[in-house]
Amino acid sequence: MARALSSDGDTVAEAVVRVSGMLESVFTTVQQTCEQTTTLLAHISVRGRRPTSADLAQLQPLLREQLAHDAKLISGTGFIAEPGLLSDVPAWLEWWQTRADGKVRPMLLDLDPDTSAFSDYTHWDWFALPRTTGQRAVSGPYVDYLCSDEYSLTLAAPVVMDGVFAGVAAADVYLRHFEAAVGPALRRIESPAFLVNPRGRVTASNTATQLAGSLVRDLDSAAARGEVVLHPCGAIPLVLVTAA
Amino acid sequence: MNRLSSAARRAIFAPLDTEARVEAVVRRLGDAITLGLLTDGEQLPGESDLAERLGVSTVSLREALMALRQQGLVTTRRGRGGGTFVRAPVEDLHDRLRQRLKAHTTEELRDLSDHYAAVAGAAARLAADRADKHDLEAPSRSLRDFADAVDAAARGRIDGRFHVEIVAAAQSSRLTREEIRFQTEIGPLLCLPFTQARIHRTADAQHRALFDAITAGDGLQARTLAEEHVRNAVRHLIELRLDETWQEH
Repeated sequence: MARALSSDGDTVAEAVVRVSGMLESVFTTVQQTCEQTTTLLAHISVRGRRPTSADLAQLQPLLREQLAHDAKLISGTGFIAEPGLLSDVPAWLEWWQTRADGKVRPMLLDLDPDTSAFSDYTHWDWFALPRTTGQRAVSGPYVDYLCSDEYSLTLAAPVVMDGVFAGVAAADVYLRHFEAAVGPALRRIESPAFLVNPRGRVTASNTATQLAGSLVRDLDSAAARGEVVLHPCGAIPLVLVTAA
Repeated sequence: MNRLSSAARRAIFAPLDTEARVEAVVRRLGDAITLGLLTDGEQLPGESDLAERLGVSTVSLREALMALRQQGLVTTRRGRGGGTFVRAPVEDLHDRLRQRLKAHTTEELRDLSDHYAAVAGAAARLAADRADKHDLEAPSRSLRDFADAVDAAARGRIDGRFHVEIVAAAQSSRLTREEIRFQTEIGPLLCLPFTQARIHRTADAQHRALFDAITAGDGLQARTLAEEHVRNAVRHLIELRLDETWQEH
């Protein structure tokens, strides 16, 4: 047979490299926001006052640049303050996003607990995970009804000032963009394969039987029984699952 | 024959579309203010920004704002710190909502109930299938907040939040957007009956049963309960609508 056969082992390894490389590049962007926010907060702290929402506007050029630089993958980016950090408002997102019409706009949320049903963002995974673990986190896929109404992944890392948690730096990746980016690598794997987050939620797949958004329960037991093989994606907390 | 004034001629020969757009903007912003989505004292975005967002010309937007000013729903202040501000005193909210309810026929409300029940039912079934315990933390918090809420406005806000959280747990952005659309269309009307403690308690019990069915992964039960919950809520609205004692006022 003249058919070019690549062993699944190679294509699986390539897919793992593709997924982790791409998400690491988004984390590099998140890290930039982290560093610039830390520097900004340190400057203000030296002057002996608390930061305000207006101070955070200084992040705008960086955030706009990030959105322009990685428009195919990153749809929103910014810093989300720990409630109580700022002196003028109880809570704040310095968040910029690319709208459907291609324009870059700040996210303006109603964060008044007396009028907004959604004012408390501290329970969202992208905020809660970096805050409680001190580690970077990939949250989602989830329906982001707070910011974009899109099915998204959010990559986030804690911003810490003098050992105190100040908020998180984060970037949004719409799931359709993520799927477009990793889809070809997944499709080169000949057997059924899909990516899951640490909670077993499918993020991308090469098979219609296991679509993004569905929940795969008891993956570890399935792996122990030898039904599937789990391939970690480096330091990225996603796992590529392939048929055994 | 009297010659038409130049203003009248302009109005007659203005593109029809413009007029429809002005009316659409008046209705959209007027409803948002009446329903409490834009709150008293809130500043609207600047004219050019708002026109762009709504996809109308600044001329159409200005006409719409003028109509809203005449209805007393916005006020414009000139100079430094000026702009267009929402006028919707909280004490008038109940009356405004009742007026808004009167604008719906019972047929419209029944039709809306059918559509909303279809969306809520489908979402509940999917949530039972797809939500894990982490996805249910947010609605679980809202469940507690709803039971504790004492005034109708807070009950309405948390009720809306609970339902959006359930749909989000179904992992469907389309259904979530639909749910949010229902919330902006009639959400605040649905909170009108929440002034009654009995209706609040019933809704609370229904929320719990729905939440338990989703947690148990019982999709069919979740769908049935969500549909009943919507029909029940709109039925209270229709009863209010039919109640002649307040229609006279």
